Amino acid sequence: MLELKHALDAKGHCLLEMPSGTGKTTTLLSLIVAYMKAHPLDLTKLVYCSRTVPEIEKVMEEFRKLMNYYEKEMGMEQNILGLALSSRKNLCIHPSVSKEREGKVVDGRCYGLTASFVRARHAGDDAVPVCNFYEGFDAHGKEFPLPPGVYNLDDLKEYGQAKGWCPYFLARYTITHANIVVYSYHYLLDPKIAEVVSKEISKTSVVVFDEAHNIDNVCIDSMSVKITKRLMDKCSNSIQILETTISNMKENDNRRLEKEYQRLVEGLRDANIARETDMALVNPVLPSEILEEAVPGTIRTAEHFVAFLKRVVEYIKTRLRVQHVVQESPAGFLRDIHIKVCIDRKPLRFTAERFSSLIRTLEISDLTDFSPLVTVSHFATLVSTYTKGFTIIIEPFEDRAPTVSNPILYFSCLDSSIAIKPVFNRFQTVVITSGTLSPLDMYPKILDFHPVIMTSFTMTLARPCILPMIVSKGNDQVAMSSRYETREDTAVIRNYGNLLVEVAAAVPDGIVCFFTSYLYLETIVSSWYDQGIIDQLQRHKLLFIETQDAAETSLALINYIKACDNGRGAVLLSVARGKVSEGIDFDHHLGRAVLMFGIPYVYTQSRILRARLEYLRDQFQIRENDFLTFDAMRHAAQCLGRCMRGKTDYGIMILADKRFSRADKRSKLPKWIQEHLKDTNCNLSTEECVQISKRWLRQMAQPFSREDQLGISLLTLEQLQSEEMQKKIHQRAQAA
Amino acid sequence: MADEEETNEYRWESGYEKTWEAIKEDDDGLLESNVAEIVARAKRKRAALKATGAIQLGMMRHLFVVIDASECMFLQDLKPTRFLCVLKLLELFVHEFFDLNPISQLGILTTKVKRSELVTALAGNQKKHIEALQQMKDTSCEGEPSLQNSLERAMNGLKNMPAHSSREVLVLFGSLTTCDPGDIKKTIKSLKENNIRVSIIGLAAEVRICREIAKRTGGTYNVLLDDHHLKELILNQVQPPAVAGSMEASLVKMGFPGGKTGSGDGASDSAADHAPAYCLCHIENETSCLMGNNSGYNCPQCGSRYCELPVECKQCGLTLVSAPHLARSYHHLFPIKPFIERTEVPEMTHCFACAKPFGELDPNVYECENCKQIVCLDCDLFIRETLHTCPGCASDPITAQMKTN
Repeated sequence: MLELKHALDAKGHCLLEMPSGTGKTTTLLSLIVAYMKAHPLDLTKLVYCSRTVPEIEKVMEEFRKLMNYYEKEMGMEQNILGLALSSRKNLCIHPSVSKEREGKVVDGRCYGLTASFVRARHAGDDAVPVCNFYEGFDAHGKEFPLPPGVYNLDDLKEYGQAKGWCPYFLARYTITHANIVVYSYHYLLDPKIAEVVSKEISKTSVVVFDEAHNIDNVCIDSMSVKITKRLMDKCSNSIQILETTISNMKENDNRRLEKEYQRLVEGLRDANIARETDMALVNPVLPSEILEEAVPGTIRTAEHFVAFLKRVVEYIKTRLRVQHVVQESPAGFLRDIHIKVCIDRKPLRFTAERFSSLIRTLEISDLTDFSPLVTVSHFATLVSTYTKGFTIIIEPFEDRAPTVSNPILYFSCLDSSIAIKPVFNRFQTVVITSGTLSPLDMYPKILDFHPVIMTSFTMTLARPCILPMIVSKGNDQVAMSSRYETREDTAVIRNYGNLLVEVAAAVPDGIVCFFTSYLYLETIVSSWYDQGIIDQLQRHKLLFIETQDAAETSLALINYIKACDNGRGAVLLSVARGKVSEGIDFDHHLGRAVLMFGIPYVYTQSRILRARLEYLRDQFQIRENDFLTFDAMRHAAQCLGRCMRGKTDYGIMILADKRFSRADKRSKLPKWIQEHLKDTNCNLSTEECVQISKRWLRQMAQPFSREDQLGISLLTLEQLQSEEMQKKIHQRAQAA
Repeated sequence: MADEEETNEYRWESGYEKTWEAIKEDDDGLLESNVAEIVARAKRKRAALKATGAIQLGMMRHLFVVIDASECMFLQDLKPTRFLCVLKLLELFVHEFFDLNPISQLGILTTKVKRSELVTALAGNQKKHIEALQQMKDTSCEGEPSLQNSLERAMNGLKNMPAHSSREVLVLFGSLTTCDPGDIKKTIKSLKENNIRVSIIGLAAEVRICREIAKRTGGTYNVLLDDHHLKELILNQVQPPAVAGSMEASLVKMGFPGGKTGSGDGASDSAADHAPAYCLCHIENETSCLMGNNSGYNCPQCGSRYCELPVECKQCGLTLVSAPHLARSYHHLFPIKPFIERTEVPEMTHCFACAKPFGELDPNVYECENCKQIVCLDCDLFIRETLHTCPGCASDPITAQMKTN
C-alpha cells in the first residue's frame, strides 16, 4: 500500500508482485478510492484491466464490498460510480441477438441494427428492424447518467432491462464519467478497439493491469497479423461483393460516393478535431500527422480503391505461393510490392481507414463477411507504417507436417512496447501487478518504461502453507530432466512416472501436473502406458488429460472437479501455457499438489520467436538465454501459483527437473515461493520428496482457526495500533 | 503395491525420520526445561479443550466404528503397521468407551476391496468386541475402501435405534481415496436426516470429502500427526458428544436385575430365577456357560439369564443395567463447571487436592467456582477426566448437601 501511494504521489508507473489470495485487488481498490477521495483533482479515474470475465466480476464484488464498508462507516451514500464493461456478447439484452453464441456474430448483428444509416432508413420505413433498446438509450439515456453505485455486468443488464436501454452502449457512454471502470486488457491495449472505447478517458487516471505477467504477449498479439491461404480466398470473394455493390450504387445513387470523395479530399476524418487536444488516446497504428493529410488520389474513388485492394490481395497470394521459408523486414516487403505491382507506401498506409470509410458509405450492415478484408487492410496499414520492430515471415508449411502445403504469412510484432507505449505516455500512473512477475527487472526492459516503484511482496503467514520442492533425481539416482538430449530416455520417463505415482499415493484429492508441451505430454503418457504406470496411477486416482480441444478440456475439467469433490481423487495432466495453466484456479482440495515436469521453455525453433529474440538482443540488450529463462520461469511460476489461492489454502509445489536447482532458475521464482524454498528441499529424490510431503500434509491438516492467524497474518484494530506493531511497520517501510 | 517384500520392509528401508528436529536446546544448552515446557503446554491445551463446558448429554450412545482395511493400511508410518496400530488403540478405546458410557452400544465394521463387512453387530458387551479386534489382526488389508458402502451399512444398523439415544459413526480412514458405487452426497444427506453423527480420523492427510461429511453431519474431522496424537484423537471420542437439539427426551424403560442376592431373601423371586440355566449371551457359542444358582443376572421382565451387564435382553428387548452403571453415566448430565484459571494466588501455596506446592513450571492455578478451592493443573485434569467431582465441594458438607439436592 505504501509503495502504491509512493507511485501515486510521484505520478509514475509501478510494478508490484503480490501473491494471489492476499488481497491484492482490495488493497489496490481501497487505496486508490481513498486517494481519489482525498485528492479529487489529482486523480479522477481508476481503470482496472483484468483478463477474463470471471476476473472482472471478482473485482466488481471486491469493489462492492468496499463501497458497502464506506457506506457503513461514513453513514451516507458514496458519490462513486463503478462499472464493468465487456463485449456486446456479454451485455446484449436484445431478445434474438443475445441468443447468438459467437462474439463476432453478435457484434455484426448489433451493428446491423444500430448503425446510423440503418436507423435513418428506419425513420423512413418501419419495416427496417432496429434495436429498441438502443433507440431507448439514444432517446433518453444520455440525459440521465447512471446513478452512483456499483454495477457489474448483470447489474447493467438488469438496469438496462428496467429502463429499456441498451446496457452495452449505456456502459460505453458512462465510461467517460464513471470513477472506476473495470474491463479487459484489450480495450486499452489493442489499438483498434482502444480507439473506439477508451479514447476519452482523461489523463489523470490510474490504470491497473491485473494478472499482467503476460502483458508483453498481449501487446504483441494485438499488433500482429496472421494471414492464411483460406483468408485470402475469402478476401477475393468479398472484393467481388464490394465491386457489385459499388457498381449498383453508382447506377442508383452516385451522389453519395461523390460526397465521400469530397470528404476524403478534405482530410481523412471529421473526428480529427478531438485528436489535436491531448484528450484522445494516440492511435499507434496511424501516427496523427498522417491523419491530417488528405487521402492520396489513387485510392479516393471507390472503384480505384477496390482495384487497389484487389492488387494487394493478389500480391499477397503470390507471396504465399512460396516453396521455402521467407523472412523479411517490412521495408523489404514494401520495396517488393512496389516493384511487382506498383503500389506505393503512402496509399498502403491509408488502407484501413479508407476501407472502413468505404464500408460506411456503402451502408453494409453485416460486417462479419468482411472480416478477412479488414484483417488484410490492417496488415497493409501496419506494414507500411512501421518499419522497425516488426518482421514478416512466410512459411509454406507447418513444421509438424512438412508435406502438407499450408502457407501462412505472419506479420509479427517483435516489440511489445509499441502497443503499450501510448498507455504509459498518456496516463499518470500505470500499475502492473500479478502474482507472478519475477524477475521484475525484465518487464521495464521489454515494455520500455521507467517505473518509479518495483517491488515484490511476500506473504505473512501463520503457517508454512506452501511447500516448494525441487526433485532432481529418481529413486535410482538417475537425474530427472526434460532436456532435449534426455527426454526420450526411458529411465527419465519412468522416474517421472514413479514420482507421480508416489505423490498420488500420498497426496489427497486433486493433483495437477504440467508438462512442457502437448507433444511431450503425449509421448510421456504413451510410454507410461507401456510401462504400466498408468495402471498404478489409476489405483489411487482418476486420470484426466488436457487436450488442444477446448470443449474436450472443459469436459475433463468438470469431471476432474467432480472426482475431487466426491473423494475419489484425480490427477490432471496438462500443459504449461495451455488453457489450464492460465485462467483456471485450483484452490483448496482441487489442487493439493502441483507437479511441473521439466522447464517449460518455449518452442525455440519457431521462427517468430527467433526473430523476436534477435530483436530483443539488438534493441534492448537482452541476451537470448536470459529471455528464454525468464519466459520459462514465469510460466513455471504461473503454473505453481495455480494451487495457492488464499491464506487458508495450502499446496505442494514440486519442480521435477534437475535444472531448477541452478541459481539462475531459482532466483527467478517469485519471492513468495523462494522464501519457502529451503536449501534442503532443492535436490531431493522421489522418496525424500514423498516423505517430506506426507509429514507436511499432516501438519497442514491440523485444525487452523482464525485465532491462530491473529497477530501474525491478521491484525485486529488494537494490534495494529499497538506500539510494537507500529514499530515493525515502520521498520519495514524503512527497509523498503 | 503391497507385495510380500514391502510388508517385510526393514527399518532402514522405511522413511527418513528426523527425530532430533523436535528437540531444541534452551539458553543453557539443556534439554530438560524444554521437554517440561512441551509437556506443560500439551496439558494446558488439553485443559483448554475440556474447559469448553457445553452440557454434555447422550448417555445412551450407539456407535459404529468403521476401520479402513484397504491396502494403504499396511504402510508403516505408524509402527508396526497402520492397521495393527489402529487395532491396538481401538482395544483401548473399546475399554474406555464402556467404562465411561456403560449403557451404550458399539459395533465394528471394516471396509476393503470396495466393500464393507460387519465384524460385530451393535452390542454392549466389550469382551466380544475386543476379541473380534484381536482376531482381526491376522486378516489382510487389500483393495480400496468405500466410504459410501460403510456409511450406508452403519446407517442401516443405526436407523432403527431409539430416538433418545445418540447415533454415531467413527471412521478410521487411512486411504486418500474412496471408491463408491453412487453419489456419496445423497448418503450424507440421508445420514443427516437420520441424525447420525459421523466423526472421522484421517491417518494420512486431509481429504476433502471426509471434512465435508464430518461438517455436514456435525461430527469432527482430525488428522493425526503421530501415534501419540492418534491415541489422543481416538480417546477424545470416548467423551459423549453434546447432543443435537432435535433429539427427543423420553422415558426409557430399564430393568435392574436382582443379580447375586442370596437365596431365600424374597418371595418375589420366582423359582425359575434360581434354577440352573444357560446364559443367553453365550448361547450361540460353543463355550456357553451353564450358570449356577447364584451367578448371573435375570431379566426382571422375562426372566432370561445373563452373565454380564449391561445388556439388552434378547427375549424381550429390555435394557438391563445396574445402578452403578447409571450413576457412572450420570456425570455426563451434570458435568462440573470448568475451573477458573488464575495467575498465582499469594495466600495459597499448596494445591488443595494433592497438597503439592505450586511449582515454577506452571504459573497458573485453577479455582472452583463453588467452593473457591485452588488446585494445580494436574489435579484439574484429573478431576475433569476421571473424578468428575470436585474434592473441595465434596468435602464441604454444605455444598455437598446442595449438590445432592
